[in-house]
Amino acid sequence: MTPEQFRQLAETWGGDVERWPAPTREAARRIAATAEGAAVLDQQSRLDRLLAVAPEIEAARVDRSSFLVLQRLAAIPQQHRPALHQRLLRWPALVPAASLACSVMVGVWLAGALPYVHSPSDPLSVMSGVFDVYAMGFGSVQ
Amino acid sequence: MAEVSAQRQHAFRVLMRRHMPRALRVAERIVRDPAEADDIGQEAFMRVWTHAASFDPQVAKFTTWLYRIVLNLTFDRTRRRTFQPLEDAGDVPDSGPHAVERLIADEELRLLNRAMAGLSDRQRGAIALFHMEGLSGEEAANAMNLSAKAFESLLGRARTALKANVQKIQQTGSHV
Repeated sequence: MTPEQFRQLAETWGGDVERWPAPTREAARRIAATAEGAAVLDQQSRLDRLLAVAPEIEAARVDRSSFLVLQRLAAIPQQHRPALHQRLLRWPALVPAASLACSVMVGVWLAGALPYVHSPSDPLSVMSGVFDVYAMGFGSVQ
Repeated sequence: MAEVSAQRQHAFRVLMRRHMPRALRVAERIVRDPAEADDIGQEAFMRVWTHAASFDPQVAKFTTWLYRIVLNLTFDRTRRRTFQPLEDAGDVPDSGPHAVERLIADEELRLLNRAMAGLSDRQRGAIALFHMEGLSGEEAANAMNLSAKAFESLLGRARTALKANVQKIQQTGSHV
């Protein structure tokens, strides 16, 4: 890097070599270490400091602007909310209803498809069934 | 930002509290009118809210995205102007007693603000991002949607023009 290139870079990027483009920094540091290089950087640094001064933004101004944004958002009409019957017809809302309908259909089908067996209800048959059960439970050899 | 994308107003309020000052600062540096800068800051955050879903943190930082929105709004407005108002900036508020150093600094700032008025909006934008906001050359170029080389050229011309304006003001004692 020539001193002229160094001066041009300083005029573009300012007095802080570390903020210059990365490929130029190493060579620039060597020139910056000389008296001439340091003088060039000093001159630019003074301008840098002035350029870095920002307009003062008071907190009240920030709050007011933020409030106005929220107010504008609130003024935007909400998206049209679908009617109840439209919401109920959506797929997620239909899952429980479909499950219930399927259960009812299976129940009705089973009731119709299976043969009806009438169990004996006379006392003798009932007693005989009970004792048979006990005979199997307690009397059997296990 | 993910919460803002999900349209959560609390997250948006936090985001505004944190970033509104930088939007106002940059806009004011370019348009040199606090009221107009406020309008731009508000419009910028309206866009942040409505376009939050399109923000991709893999592509850019939020601040870079915000700067880009602010700059686009600012340049759009200044492009629509029929004339560039002659600068009325440079009146640094004078409150209370000052040390001599402060007076000198104020005078320098006044001079600088006059000189800044003679720059183009894009030149003021480049100076605002690189010097005032402290962005790197690459970040500032990205926010301005420019190549690194184009940004370097813009910044160099801005500083050169600024120095020329300062000299002109000092010689004539008048506006640029």
